[in-house]
Amino acid sequence: MANENKNSSAYRAYFFAFFSVVLLILSAWVIWDDEFGLRPWKHYQKEYKSLKHDQLVKEYKQAQFEFQRSGGAKRLADLNAQLEKAEAGLKGKGAGEKYEQLNRQLEELQKQAAESQKQLQTVRGKYLETEYYFTRTQKPEYKKEMDALQLQIDAIDKKSKDIQVKQEPIRESIAQIAGNIPAIKAEIEQLNKILEEKKEKIANNEKAPIEIKQFLIKDVDKADRCVSCHIGIESSKQPSAKQPYSKHPLTSVYLGHHDPGKFGCTYCHRGQGRATTTVEKAHGKVKYWDEAMLKGDMTQTSCLNCHGDIKNLRGAETISKNTELVKKYGCYSCHKIPGYEGIGDVGPELTQVGTKVNYTWAVNWLLDPKKYFSTARMPKFFFTQDQAEAIADYLFSMSGSDRRDVDSANIKNDPKLVEQGKALWSQARCNLCHATGGRGGDHSKVYAPDLSKVGSKVNKTWLFNWIKDPNKYFPGTKMPRFRFTDQEINALVDYISSEYVDDESENKYVAPVQIQAASIKKGKDLVQQYGCYGCHKMRGMEMVQVAPSLKAQGVTFLRSDEMREKIGTELSSIGSKPVELLDFGKLKKSMPNDRLSYIKQKLRDPRGFRLGLRMPNFRLSETEVNELSAVLYGFTDSNAPVRFMVPSRQELDKMAGVQGYKFTGDFAKVIADVKCTNCHTIKGIGADYAPDLSLAGSKLQESWIRNFLANPDMIRPLLQQMPKLGLSMGKTPAKVTMPKFNLGTQKVEDTNRSDVDVVVNYFQQELVTSDIPTKIPVIADVAMPEQIAQGKKIYDDKGCRSCHQLGTDGGAVGPNLSNVGNRLLPGFIFKHLENPRKYKPDIVEPNYGFTERERVLLTNFLMTLKISAK
Amino acid sequence: MSDLFNKVKKNLIWKSVFRRDYRDNVRDRALAVFGNVFLHLHPVKVRESAVKLRYTWGMGGITFLAFIILTITGVVLMFYYHPSVDQAYSDMKDLEFQVPYGVITRNLHRWGAHFMVIVVMIHMFRVFMTGSYKAPRQFNWGIGVILLVLTFLLSFTGYLLPWDQLGFWAITVGTNMGAATPLLGYQGPFSEYLHITPYNDIRFALLGGATVGGNALLRSYIWHCIAIPLIATVLMVVHFWRVRKDGGISRPQNH
Repeated sequence: MANENKNSSAYRAYFFAFFSVVLLILSAWVIWDDEFGLRPWKHYQKEYKSLKHDQLVKEYKQAQFEFQRSGGAKRLADLNAQLEKAEAGLKGKGAGEKYEQLNRQLEELQKQAAESQKQLQTVRGKYLETEYYFTRTQKPEYKKEMDALQLQIDAIDKKSKDIQVKQEPIRESIAQIAGNIPAIKAEIEQLNKILEEKKEKIANNEKAPIEIKQFLIKDVDKADRCVSCHIGIESSKQPSAKQPYSKHPLTSVYLGHHDPGKFGCTYCHRGQGRATTTVEKAHGKVKYWDEAMLKGDMTQTSCLNCHGDIKNLRGAETISKNTELVKKYGCYSCHKIPGYEGIGDVGPELTQVGTKVNYTWAVNWLLDPKKYFSTARMPKFFFTQDQAEAIADYLFSMSGSDRRDVDSANIKNDPKLVEQGKALWSQARCNLCHATGGRGGDHSKVYAPDLSKVGSKVNKTWLFNWIKDPNKYFPGTKMPRFRFTDQEINALVDYISSEYVDDESENKYVAPVQIQAASIKKGKDLVQQYGCYGCHKMRGMEMVQVAPSLKAQGVTFLRSDEMREKIGTELSSIGSKPVELLDFGKLKKSMPNDRLSYIKQKLRDPRGFRLGLRMPNFRLSETEVNELSAVLYGFTDSNAPVRFMVPSRQELDKMAGVQGYKFTGDFAKVIADVKCTNCHTIKGIGADYAPDLSLAGSKLQESWIRNFLANPDMIRPLLQQMPKLGLSMGKTPAKVTMPKFNLGTQKVEDTNRSDVDVVVNYFQQELVTSDIPTKIPVIADVAMPEQIAQGKKIYDDKGCRSCHQLGTDGGAVGPNLSNVGNRLLPGFIFKHLENPRKYKPDIVEPNYGFTERERVLLTNFLMTLKISAK
Repeated sequence: MSDLFNKVKKNLIWKSVFRRDYRDNVRDRALAVFGNVFLHLHPVKVRESAVKLRYTWGMGGITFLAFIILTITGVVLMFYYHPSVDQAYSDMKDLEFQVPYGVITRNLHRWGAHFMVIVVMIHMFRVFMTGSYKAPRQFNWGIGVILLVLTFLLSFTGYLLPWDQLGFWAITVGTNMGAATPLLGYQGPFSEYLHITPYNDIRFALLGGATVGGNALLRSYIWHCIAIPLIATVLMVVHFWRVRKDGGISRPQNH
């Protein structure tokens, strides 16, 4: 028994010993881990420190070298020698003794001054105390004491002043004896400072503590500790371009406008700002952290969180370009997206489509739009033949009761008219917006359909009516109304229907076939299910004339109120939607389960997740998928504080109760007709394809405007050209890019003023600013020819010709100035030279800081540059 | 050496703290227990058979150890935690990333809590299997059952405190069950006779509102850190005291 006990207690001792050791090791591990394992930033900060040290030492050595080279060192040695000599002269008997004695006297006086200063403080303190008691109690003895103290204060004050006065002559004598010693000392100090400063920097770097660094935004309880590793993110000179030591790219734009101390890092970059233990955790690339860090251009997606207008926003170029895709494909047609309300429909109105296109074409288009032309924007809905026919039946029955194709094989076109139409086609620059045969369609903001096969799509009657007045068929279309005569339109129609035909088109219904009521009913269900009315306006049943034969069969159409809802999921916060709420369906296991991957996959293959999804396939390229997903990722229910928000101009106007700008009078009619704002921006309305015309009246000469509208000529060699709208004169200029709209030959509807008159009048009345003077200052002391010569000299000296052409000489970055004297008003040139960025913030022209006189001279010179009209 | 030893031990301060000698005799051993408040609940003498691990598994003691660990780590965690909707989750993140020894403290608390729940159930199982709930220990069994429930409630209330999705929905589900309590929950049977609505039922009392929000967080916090531990401590005192009064720790009958 005893033996057994002994054994078991020995066993127990080993047992405890073993676990004690394990516990000890574990404890040591805990301490080590807390000190180092969980604090990787310590290592980064040390590394950064040493890199910075190397950089600073290098700078120091360079400064030292420079100091030697520039003679600073020699000068310093000289000065030191001089100082030594001068100081030697102050030693020994005579002057030396006197000097020392004076210094001693001065020292004694200074001591006395300090003493009385101290006394003064004590007495003043007492005075204040007494004053406090007096104000509380109003007892006269305190008042008496105050008076006594005041006397003391005055006495001490007087004493101090006496001491001060006594010091003066002594100081003077000292200065006299010392001579230039103070000056030498000052210069030595100055010279020493050059290197001392650098040395100090090295020492400061050495002293910098290794510690957690963070941007703390208290009111939202945000702590971004990214800077603990990205230690040099704010530095102007990075000691290393390697991560995590490099500085922030485009520091002035991003950090300059978003002080990290106020904005932190994660509002833009996402990721897990508080995490410091591993790179994966900090960058949010861990399970259960939905916000992976955004890098590079993808970060621009966050601009959308706060900025209402990202167009022309510096640093947001990529995302700004990407948002065009949302408009191009009309995502807002089916999905609610804030900021994209009230934009026109992406597709044309379909109520009367039966009068426009061939039935067979419509069915084929519904089956696969890209088969008709590869740049088609309409997505593929994967309809079966039956379904496509049902939808086509529904649409056609709104304007008739037959399936009907035009017998295109038997259409006769007049060769003479075709020839004339061809000329008109190029004059009007149809190809600027419409591509044909893979050419043209450069105006990316308009998305006009490819017309290569349009002759087999639409019938001639419709085409004639369309060109004559596009607004009539499709109110809100971007197609301008060219001022063609009926004869010209006939020529164009003949040209188009003979030139642009699809050889492979089939026309099954040259002999019309009656549409079946059952098919229309099926089509109605499909239209509703897939929400065709999201992109295409269709008039509601109450406004549709149903053919009597169909009416008899009880055919009904969708009512207006049935076509209002958006059928897709709201996208306002897709970029911050919790991952658990995203339906990965059958792809759950075969793809990464994060939000961005989901968005991309959805765009690539919208119906791939499971059966029953309705979103059509837009067949986007991988680039488009990336661009569009970047935008969608930016639609968040941002938790950023309100003070970060930069509302769009529209929103600001709304808040201030200001109506957005509206065109008025006859000019509004011209705009609605010619669609100037397809290309030009006027008072914030329109596209940025062509120059902003908001201040055209203050900028351009009337005669030039008139000439230009007649013959839009080349101004800027490298940029896009304005098409000739065919405004009146009938000539065909060699380099015309603005369409010829035939303005001027006709009177504007309901008025007796010509188009051009209306435009010029509006420019001069509305599109002006009082900022730009109508007259420029006059220089009286120099004769005009001399002024012009001086102006030319400035033009040459400042190197204007490196960007601007005169004739064919010069660079092609800025506008050609050969004819600027005929084009611009002197007031505009004068004002523009003062600050080129004032009217065009994104202009590249530098601000030369001209004086007013120089600006007058330059303006006078430029106004002489004219090409005489031939 | 012995002089020094005497100097340290033979003075008033030492004696007032330790009060007796550590001689290995029955009297001193008993005095050690009598004189120590912490051992006061402990029996003066323990039979050898009572410390045999095979019979009791030591589960009651281990549960108490877990409770002590949880109390200590819990107090440390309280220094770094704000029971507010805005800060609770960030505090959790700070404990993970920033607070010295925060990770080990929080993990000890979390794993300790899981451990305690398991151990407490094994303890109960053992008591049941050895028939230790029988007379004269019926009362203590009752106390034990209440302590078990309190342990679960501690776990439940602590669940919400990180203010993460897991805790949020767990409490949502848990309190919705409360809504189905007969009479007291607005969805429960017969509640209509008491005019119970979602705004005056048991769920409302648990959450301090009709949904899981700031009030629910605060209530959880108070229950978890103050109220339940206090009640549990009092009941534990009774529990231990009853063990002693009911004839010491349960042991095989033939001993």
